[in-house]
Amino acid sequence: MVFVEPWLLLALVALPMLWWLLRVTPPTPRTEAFPAIRLLAGLRANEETPAHTPLWLLALRLLAAGLVVVGLARPVLRAGAELPGSGPVLLVLDDGWAAAADWQQRLAAAETVLDRAERAGRPVALLGLAHSETDAAPTLSPVMPVADLRPRLAALRPKPWPDDRVAAAAALGAWQQADTAVVYLPDGLARDGDAALASAMERIGPVAEIRAAASAARLVLAPRAEADRLILRLAQTPQPHATDANILAQTGDGRTLARVGITVPAGATNGEAALQLPPELRNQLAQLVLAGVPSAGGVMMLDESWRRRPVGLVAGDATTADTPLSGQLYYLRQALGPTTELREGDIATLLSRDIAVIVLADRPVTDPHERDALAAWVRRGGLLLRFAGPRTAEISADMAENGAATGVPEQPTDGLNGGRPEIGAAPDSDALLPVRLLAGDRQMGGAMSWSKPAGLAPFLADSPFNGLPVPPEVTVTEQVLAEPNADLAAHSWATLADGTPLVTATSLGAGRIVLFHTTANADWSNLPLSGLFVQMMQRLVQLSAGVATPANDTLLAPAVALDGFGQPSAPPPAATALPASQVARTAASPRHPPGLYGPENGRQALNLATGIGPLVVGAPVAGARQEALDATLREQALGPWLLAAAVALLAIDLLLALSLRGLLRPTSLRRATVSLVVLAGLGLASLGLATPAQAQSAVPPDFPALLTRLAYLVTGDRAVDSTSQAGLAGLSDYVNRRTNANLGAPAAVQPGRDDLSFYPLLYWPVVAQGTPDPGMIAALNDYMGHGGIVLIDTRGDDSALAQAARGLEVPRLVQLSSDHVLARSFYLLDSFPGRTADAPVWVQRDQDRSNDSVSPVIIGANNWASAWAVDAAGRPAGPDLPGGARQRTLAYRFGVNLVMYALTGNYKGDQVHVPAILERLGQ
Amino acid sequence: MAIAASDRATARRAEALGAMLPPLMVAAERVAATVAQGVHGRRRVGQGDSFWQFRPYVHGDALGRIDWRQSARGDRAFVRETEWEAAQTVLLWRDASASMRWRSAAASTEKLARADLLLLALAALLLRGGERVRLLAPGARNLSGRHALDRLAAELALTDADTSGQLPQSQLPRHAKLVLISDFLAPLPEIEAMLAGLAAVPVSGHLLQVLDPAEADLPYVGRVRFRGLERESDTLVPRVEGIREAYGKALARQVDGLTSLARAAGFSHALHRTDHPPGTALLGLYGALAPARMPR
Repeated sequence: MVFVEPWLLLALVALPMLWWLLRVTPPTPRTEAFPAIRLLAGLRANEETPAHTPLWLLALRLLAAGLVVVGLARPVLRAGAELPGSGPVLLVLDDGWAAAADWQQRLAAAETVLDRAERAGRPVALLGLAHSETDAAPTLSPVMPVADLRPRLAALRPKPWPDDRVAAAAALGAWQQADTAVVYLPDGLARDGDAALASAMERIGPVAEIRAAASAARLVLAPRAEADRLILRLAQTPQPHATDANILAQTGDGRTLARVGITVPAGATNGEAALQLPPELRNQLAQLVLAGVPSAGGVMMLDESWRRRPVGLVAGDATTADTPLSGQLYYLRQALGPTTELREGDIATLLSRDIAVIVLADRPVTDPHERDALAAWVRRGGLLLRFAGPRTAEISADMAENGAATGVPEQPTDGLNGGRPEIGAAPDSDALLPVRLLAGDRQMGGAMSWSKPAGLAPFLADSPFNGLPVPPEVTVTEQVLAEPNADLAAHSWATLADGTPLVTATSLGAGRIVLFHTTANADWSNLPLSGLFVQMMQRLVQLSAGVATPANDTLLAPAVALDGFGQPSAPPPAATALPASQVARTAASPRHPPGLYGPENGRQALNLATGIGPLVVGAPVAGARQEALDATLREQALGPWLLAAAVALLAIDLLLALSLRGLLRPTSLRRATVSLVVLAGLGLASLGLATPAQAQSAVPPDFPALLTRLAYLVTGDRAVDSTSQAGLAGLSDYVNRRTNANLGAPAAVQPGRDDLSFYPLLYWPVVAQGTPDPGMIAALNDYMGHGGIVLIDTRGDDSALAQAARGLEVPRLVQLSSDHVLARSFYLLDSFPGRTADAPVWVQRDQDRSNDSVSPVIIGANNWASAWAVDAAGRPAGPDLPGGARQRTLAYRFGVNLVMYALTGNYKGDQVHVPAILERLGQ
Repeated sequence: MAIAASDRATARRAEALGAMLPPLMVAAERVAATVAQGVHGRRRVGQGDSFWQFRPYVHGDALGRIDWRQSARGDRAFVRETEWEAAQTVLLWRDASASMRWRSAAASTEKLARADLLLLALAALLLRGGERVRLLAPGARNLSGRHALDRLAAELALTDADTSGQLPQSQLPRHAKLVLISDFLAPLPEIEAMLAGLAAVPVSGHLLQVLDPAEADLPYVGRVRFRGLERESDTLVPRVEGIREAYGKALARQVDGLTSLARAAGFSHALHRTDHPPGTALLGLYGALAPARMPR
């Protein structure tokens, strides 16, 4: 700790003088009128009155004065090491993408350096390592006073592209000042130009390097698509222990669809985790965001190519293809329609636009031009999905007769048009099949066959259908057979129970050809009728490569750019358009910031991760004084805090002085003390000195849920509470004797502290008191809003009600009449007496349909508990009622009705309508 | 006499307070001696206006007592008997001295106002029970009937001027019931003298001591100069907390002394604090005046 103005501490010498001055005469007495003054005469205090100010008060005042003196001397905590040299300070700050994750810490560390420089009175210059938004190379700021540099530092933002250390080293070459201290805040990654920058800094002066010790630089890589999942990938600098990260899968409007945890093992640079989403949700996926780390490197934007997978449907028999339930395309349309974009047309038309999947339902490809075009499209990454059928069987039979070579060559040559010679020689043969087919088809379980229809075998682990449940009722009655050979099993994605392949596939170029050995309708198999078919179709579509539009040299303008913290923003001024084919391959730079390019309906994403190689930890600058980033704490001026504490102490002193003179009322004094204690407690807690309070839920002594009980609100007035208790005990007893209801002993509750949800009825005798506790009113409102009934008894004191029930949500009320359910729910009543009989009773309007027409509140003034009250022996307690025993009986009857109303709600409302119902029944 | 609106309002409040309890019949074991005749029946044959029973004529009954209408229905003569009705006069007094016109911050009402309310509520109960009430003041009359309460309130307002705190000198009927409401903070010998005078008449009754919560608890703290309300000299207490306990003992001595004095004079005694609801005190008065309830 350092004092900026230590000579002020001399004033502490004056404290003893203050001590002497503060020994003042006791405060002047207050005058009170008091009738019982005669009793006071001659009374002796049992302790001597202090003749002067109490010692502890004196100590308090001296402490306050001492705090003022020390505070004015401006102590500074954590002043840190002095910067070497006496000339200007050069602050070299890395503002590339990797600095964004702990940017606030970096700024704080930089501010600390500025604080030190300011105290030493040294001017400062600043150098950011990355290109600016306007693509200006890193430049040194002029040497300026710290106060002028602070706004520049505060305005500095991390850039969403890598820094340029070569250019920064060149900029440092222009430094002319002598006796300079260099402070360097690198992002910790090794990059080109590290050595040049280090030597440039060392040439200028002694270097202090502030490095982030613990945290790793992280980068979300482009995910890998598999049939039913996305494999999310995360790159980071190697860490000595395994680290966990969470990646959020988000939609375009920022909703999070899933949260995936990735564990990167110790020392590894990569981690992977699978994200499984239903196709509907997967199509909404717009970006993967690293949770908790605001950085452009933590955002991977997914463009249209991750979502859009148009499927083309081609049927062998176009005329009947769409016939419901029997057409060849009917089930495909049902399975794919909800989740994908379907197109129809002939093959040439479909190929004229980008398309991800083409389904040929029993459509042999015999035209060589079509075949070539399809083969070329598959090589570019298309998925050709074929279904067998009578026509396919016929063609394969022809081919078998001709002895023509079928099947796709195992190793297709590169190039888009190089496939033609390898594909079948016969002009009408169908070469685009994953396996050679045997002639004709095989029937199982027909009228002329011994064999039974075959079920499906479970999917193998390497099949894209792996994990889908196989329903036992799915059977295949007819199929085309593959020619058996050694690698048939390797091509099989699904087999029947007898081992013959049902789905075979092969790769061709970047794409695939998949064949279902049965039809796409229910002719040969009931597979298309099953839910499995839908799941298989969706997996196949997800397997296909997405289509990004337009994959040509159209120039795409930047539409949305990410800033250094990974937040979408307007593109920076230097951003320029890119050819569409280049977007996915371009490294991020000021000219091409990461973000979305192109028009609204065909956005393409440029991600920071594209242009960044493996993340390697950079070596520290040789010869530099090392300092950890999180150890560089901001120095703290204690002066203001000490002065604030002194003011607080003086305020307490004022309160104490007032209370010693008796000028504070006891209640307000208690309140002030409580609030002071609470404030002090909060202060301690926020300082971290208090241990976290452990919430201890007290188990209620009698479990309120086990027995139905009436409850009364504890008012704090002992007489009223005991009357309530006795009254509800009497009522419960009466109800137990007269009805089937079985009520336990009444419970005393305090709304806001006790759980009210167990009690059907809450009796509230209103007593005149101060403003109600808002927590209590809130609890009562909640209780009433959820079906509870509160019986408010003003006991004749209507003015107290307005005060006590302030804030209570009372519905519109109407006077209780004898045709209300409450007057009919057990006894038929036309008066509702308690100790008094005449006061009106108010209930919710009957038209109010909320809460099933059950009034949440009943308000009256008849002092019911007093009428219901019984003593321990069960005899009526308290004085007789004005109306004698009859009135007591009527009071009990009203109580029974009330309990019935609380327990059955509007059920008894039907009783009110009995005459009408009987009349309708023809009585 | 003109009745002020505020008196009327106090009377209404007192009536509402009294409505919580059944009509009060004073236990009057010596009721015959008061020679009063009232409207509430004693469930016995006697002098009164209300019909009690028909009884066959026996020899010796005065001819004038035969109920001819009833006798004409049969062939025997019937005598009409009326219920014995008797009422007792209850004398009410409350202290209107300066010490009663005071309230502390903790209380919502002055002791005098509370005493007025309790007196009128008790009167309302008594009047509903058919008893007669009379204010213990020079020139006050026995009151009964429906409008008695309003008249009583008016008479009560007239006695506000008497701030002496002494019982007025007036002729007391023997064996009358007295209800005296005051703070009874006067020195015990003075009270003893007063009670002795009453016991000599003889009359009995009930003393209701109305105290402010501040008088009961002495809630002040710090240095306080206490100033009396009835020309007592000031008392400077350097530290009120220090004497609170001693004050409590002094007050307890006063209350206990009053209780024993009252008991010796045939009076009962109760204490009421103005921060407690008046119903409680009224209940106590009721219990003190009502006949002991028959065991069930």
